[in-house]
Amino acid sequence: MTITVIKPGLLSTIQSRPRIGLRHQGIPASGAADPLSLALANRLVGNVWDAPALEVALLGPTLRFERECGFAITGAVAAISLNGNVVEPHATLHASAGDELVVGAAEIGARVYIAFAGGLAAEEILGSTSTNLQAGFGGLQGRALQKGDELAVNYASAPELITPDDFRMPVSSSWAVRACAASETDQLDADSLEYLFNTNWTVDRRADRMGLRLAGAKLTVSSDGRMPSAGVIPGTIQCPEDGAPYVLSVDAGTVGGYPRIAQVARADRHLLGQLRPGDHVRLLRREPDEAVEALHAKLAYWREWLPDIDEVLL
Amino acid sequence: MLTRCGDDLFSIAVESPLEAQALATQLGNTGIGLEVIPGIDTVVVRFDAARQDGESVSRAIAASIAAGIEPLQASESLLEIPVVYGGEYGPDLDALCEETGLSTEDIIALHTGSVFHVDMVGFTPGFAFIGGLDDRLRVPRRKEPRLRVEAGSVGIADGRTGLYAMASPGGWTLIGRTPYTLFDAHADRPFVLRPGMRVRFKAISADEFGA
Repeated sequence: MTITVIKPGLLSTIQSRPRIGLRHQGIPASGAADPLSLALANRLVGNVWDAPALEVALLGPTLRFERECGFAITGAVAAISLNGNVVEPHATLHASAGDELVVGAAEIGARVYIAFAGGLAAEEILGSTSTNLQAGFGGLQGRALQKGDELAVNYASAPELITPDDFRMPVSSSWAVRACAASETDQLDADSLEYLFNTNWTVDRRADRMGLRLAGAKLTVSSDGRMPSAGVIPGTIQCPEDGAPYVLSVDAGTVGGYPRIAQVARADRHLLGQLRPGDHVRLLRREPDEAVEALHAKLAYWREWLPDIDEVLL
Repeated sequence: MLTRCGDDLFSIAVESPLEAQALATQLGNTGIGLEVIPGIDTVVVRFDAARQDGESVSRAIAASIAAGIEPLQASESLLEIPVVYGGEYGPDLDALCEETGLSTEDIIALHTGSVFHVDMVGFTPGFAFIGGLDDRLRVPRRKEPRLRVEAGSVGIADGRTGLYAMASPGGWTLIGRTPYTLFDAHADRPFVLRPGMRVRFKAISADEFGA
């Protein structure tokens, strides 16, 4: 075994690519909530973008390396130390046997990604090694890390890289996310439609890999608020009965029974993984064509550093 | 009716769960998108907006519908699902008696007395929406969903039976639980229930549950 978990952190899971094409069987996406940061971390240690890595939410773990290992850290801003010495994110790092890595609390952003040269050994189920916490499969026995767990790394030598400044995904506590009208947007009354795209929303305490509840205005729909279950994907924004928009994330169920009032544009879905309780977020209304244009622009920008960006932001 | 709902999504309105399943299968076979998700009266298609043009996807969907929706072959086999009704296995059964004015025996008789069909699988892995429930058992979903519903739980809501293949939060009125394993990620065929399948429920005792 390569890495011993001394402290697991708040919610640390092994994540990789999402499961795509299985929603008709009830299988949600899973995978990194912020796949861009996953890809950036793997890039620094010479891995394919979706090599199994650790996603850690809000409070990071303490890990002990049992043998030498290249690794890299991206995502949320957090204090990181190796044997008590501060180390930087966005650069290839090297640990020797016995070294202890401490990832502190995320100060800005919600999730830190730790990639290891060669990638973590993880259980592949239904086309991905990503952890599905609800069903309990993938990753490490389908669960979050626990104290005493031992993680195996598929060894590879690491390059020496630093993420260029232009490709350090900025994290913030104030976000703008592009979104389009969806199937049931027309069920919102005029005021609610106005609120949806003009409120500076606050991310509620209920914010996790299932979804994010937004607080700031109460929306009303013309129907009784229920509808026959219909397909949803990460980025679908529902209006549940309490009138607070609920933005679905990577672990959300595959169908839902609440009106679908907006859809986060594909280009910006990766941002949802960094929104944390108390953050502010505005939804910027875009027509589908404009959202596609934004997607092409973003893919073109990132392709220079991440050749597989089309897969990363799928 | 086809609605664009985002840069990479379409939602198609259909008449019934059966038609949704049939159209989803048809569209899935043409490889039209990344995801084709049948609902109760919709099919949602997610496509790759970086490589596929929305207009072309829209035309391809319209052409597939215009060519006719091939009905799914009705399933011949009938799956019998054992259920312990009431008590700790179906904690809402007593409340359902009050709500409907039916006795426990009436409810079990209505639930075990017909052959139902699986309308849809989704929400969580393997969760089955089973249609055809008697109108006397029509109740809405609970206002306050439970944070945890055990795997195997049998709930009813909006004229359907819902089978929880795994533990999850849930808002259905719970009348019983089956000892059957409905989803096993490690099995060759992870899902026991598939859309179109016919099922009948059979009452068993709590002693038989663990047998």
